[in-house]
Amino acid sequence: MDNLEEENKEKTEEQEANKIEDFPASKSKDFEEPEIDIIDKEGHKEKLEVYEEKEEPIKEEEIIKPKEEKKEPEPSEPKEPFKKRILNFYDKKYKKLMLIPIIMLILAILIIGIQTATTGSFIHKDVSLKGGVTLTITKENQIDILNLEKSLEQKFTNNDISVRSIKKTGTQIGVVVVADIEGTNKEELNSFIDAIESQIGYQLNEEDYSIEIMGSSLGASFFKETIIALVIAFILMSIVVFIYFRTFIPSLAVILSAFSDIIVTLAIVDLAGMKLGTGGIAAFLMLVGYSVDTDMLLTTRLLKRKEGTVFERTISSVKTGMLMSLTTMVALTVGIIFVQSAVIRQIMVIVLIGLFVDIINTWIQNVGILRLYIEKKQTKNE
Amino acid sequence: MNRKIKKIFTNTRVIILLVFLALAIVAIHPNPYKKGVAIRNVITNSSANLAGIQSPKPNIAPMSREAIIAINNKVINNVEDYSNSLKDLKPNITIQIKTNKDTYRLITKEKTEVIELNETELKTIEETVEINETVNGTIITKNKTITKTIEVPKTETISNGTEDIGLRIYDAPKTNIRKGLDLQGGTRVLLQPEEKITKNDMENLIAVMKERLNVYGLSDLIIREAGDLSGNQYILVEIAGATEEEVRNLLAKQGKFEAKIGNGTTFKGGNEITYVCRSADCAGIDPLQGCGSSNNQWFCRFRFSISLSPQAAQRQADLTKDLQIVTEDKQQYLSEKLILFLDDKQVDELRIGAELKGKAETNIQISGSGIGISQQEAAINALQNMKRLQTILITGSLPFKLNIVKTDTISPVLGEEFVRNALFIGLLAVLTVSIIVFIRYRKWQVSIPMVITLISEVIILLGVAALIGWNLDLAAIAGIIIAVGTGVDHKILITDETLKGELRKIFNWKERIKGAFFIIMGAYLTTTFAMIPLIFAGAGLLKGFAIITIIGVSIGVFITRPAYANIIEILLKE
Repeated sequence: MDNLEEENKEKTEEQEANKIEDFPASKSKDFEEPEIDIIDKEGHKEKLEVYEEKEEPIKEEEIIKPKEEKKEPEPSEPKEPFKKRILNFYDKKYKKLMLIPIIMLILAILIIGIQTATTGSFIHKDVSLKGGVTLTITKENQIDILNLEKSLEQKFTNNDISVRSIKKTGTQIGVVVVADIEGTNKEELNSFIDAIESQIGYQLNEEDYSIEIMGSSLGASFFKETIIALVIAFILMSIVVFIYFRTFIPSLAVILSAFSDIIVTLAIVDLAGMKLGTGGIAAFLMLVGYSVDTDMLLTTRLLKRKEGTVFERTISSVKTGMLMSLTTMVALTVGIIFVQSAVIRQIMVIVLIGLFVDIINTWIQNVGILRLYIEKKQTKNE
Repeated sequence: MNRKIKKIFTNTRVIILLVFLALAIVAIHPNPYKKGVAIRNVITNSSANLAGIQSPKPNIAPMSREAIIAINNKVINNVEDYSNSLKDLKPNITIQIKTNKDTYRLITKEKTEVIELNETELKTIEETVEINETVNGTIITKNKTITKTIEVPKTETISNGTEDIGLRIYDAPKTNIRKGLDLQGGTRVLLQPEEKITKNDMENLIAVMKERLNVYGLSDLIIREAGDLSGNQYILVEIAGATEEEVRNLLAKQGKFEAKIGNGTTFKGGNEITYVCRSADCAGIDPLQGCGSSNNQWFCRFRFSISLSPQAAQRQADLTKDLQIVTEDKQQYLSEKLILFLDDKQVDELRIGAELKGKAETNIQISGSGIGISQQEAAINALQNMKRLQTILITGSLPFKLNIVKTDTISPVLGEEFVRNALFIGLLAVLTVSIIVFIRYRKWQVSIPMVITLISEVIILLGVAALIGWNLDLAAIAGIIIAVGTGVDHKILITDETLKGELRKIFNWKERIKGAFFIIMGAYLTTTFAMIPLIFAGAGLLKGFAIITIIGVSIGVFITRPAYANIIEILLKE
């Protein structure tokens, strides 16, 4: 504790120094309007409440006191101390917190390893990657999906078959049958459609259904292709990040965060038994984009800005970044609830999981690495 | 307040946004009150075709398509009206179809059907057989026509109502946004050549396929080469409004090409045409006759040579030996023409030079001409006609074996539902996001500009898609989602950076906005570069996703987000 406090004092001193450096610069730009500044601040005080309120915990000497004293008065004023304690913990124990993303990444690699060892592939592939048929019946007649699935499974014992329904405001408007039969073989396809027709009790006309057939060889090649695309995308992304920041460790931290996002999300998707299609793999690409957004924000604010302490800047990044993630997550949740297309839903689910993972990777792992990096740099300079 | 509004509308970045918005709306050309049914294609030799209705050109914008607005003076609003008004038509009557461009008179045809009766009859037929004959000690193969009588089932031709008038139609589009297959229904087939073929062969193959599908009046189609990162070759065929069965049949059927003189077949596609010259030394504008002009019109002659098998050459000699020689334009021709048929439909006719009469010539030269108002135009037309003829001649059999590796057939019902669903989710997402943003900032000066610029972003994106004729499918919708998602993220970033600027005591707004755009540019560049590999991967099926994402985020970063930054600057600055 003593050590930390000392470290802290050092840091605030550093920051003070920074501030002094920074101030004349901003002053020199607007040196004519110092008075307007005060009025400005006064006038905005009410409107900026949100900021002011959260700014409080940053005064570090104050934070430490309540933590030691206020164990009993907590019920009377539960909100503030709790919040402060969390913030304090986040500030002081960032090195210990970094264990969470590290353990998470190791576990994820283990899960993917086990998955690969037992099934031969690091994901569960759906028919768009291993070949098969997706038949969507859009007739108004209600179809009992459980019976349909059961009867198809009895007839095609060697195949993997699933049946689900498309719903609109609770009523079934369509049924999707997915099976990994070789649809490019006309006979196999016809016997499959016949089996469905005999179960639902009527003939299907051309307008009544949509059918997507993927040859198994093409599926395999698509799988290879999308993985190659993902790897190239990742490399390109890394190059851009390096060129953009031109510093090794921070750039590496951004890339590591994007990498962990992908790996951990993949492990969760595997654990959930979700079958991935081409759209699903494209979702991982989207994830890279969203992941880099928050990391860029964090790295820029911590390294390129000078105002306030490092922790202040971290907290301001957390606020902006969390709002960014929150809006995306809420929009995705809305989408997942209402969307009818299975492909789009899968993309949304993966990005949503990825954003949760990204919160940990950005605000714990990346913050930790950057703070360590800044400290190292400061001691070096001394 | 008025001063601020004036300031907003005179701001350069806002003006740029408004200009793009206006252009996008012009490109989308929305007209929710548009009624009628648009013509997708016209079946060759159907009553509609005979009355002069033509299939739309493939690249025509959706709103410019010919649409039927009335049949027999009854207003047609949608597909249902259309099918109702044509439900109980009698054969051989005249119906009047009024479109937004013209009025046509159609005569309905009787539909006949040949049925087999339960009895047989004797029929005399002619059959061509190959026989081996010994001439001067060597064995040669010769075709000989023999007459024989066989027993066949007796048939009867019966009338079976009225033949379809031959129009494929769909509800008239209300905007210029092209819906992809996923959203409007149709069939997509991905073909893979059995062996690797050269770039040139691939182009020919695609030209041949286009020619064949056009013969069937299928104009709403896309045929293009698709590749992937591993160097595999594919051909992607997308036909809107066609069923899987139709497309499979068209592609599986060996294209039947026949050249006839009178009633006799001279040569067929496949191995009877051994070579069609398409290189400059034996194909192109005729060097001897070249171009000429008369009556302010230029015409250019083209020629190219083909090689026939000896059998075909012999047949040609047999068929031409009794023809007369006629003189026309100082040229001597035979009295009958060589008529070219593709899948039993006449596609062209050629005059035969008198020198070929009765001669078993295996190397023959085919010539024709093109007309134009200038020499250049005439030459271009001549070469175009030549290319078409060459394509037809090699169409006989597709020169390469193609395997169907993927087919998707999407019913139009499902597509419509997807569009409605996507719009609903989009609106709901914008609504929830704006509520969160309002709760967070409690400033209308932030949330209203954010929602407005967000919607402008989508409109401009759709406008660009309409302008470049991009088909919007599910993959493209996923791209729109990303573009809008990063749009919200970046606007939050701009807002926070500028509001933070007040606390940071940076009074220069330019500095604040610059700070935000440093982060935004970084994120923009990584997203764009991450999308590039997808353009080339996996037969280009995810190309739409990558392209729309890149266009969307570019619009955001260069047009709407700068405008947003300036608007909130003006609104928040005291």
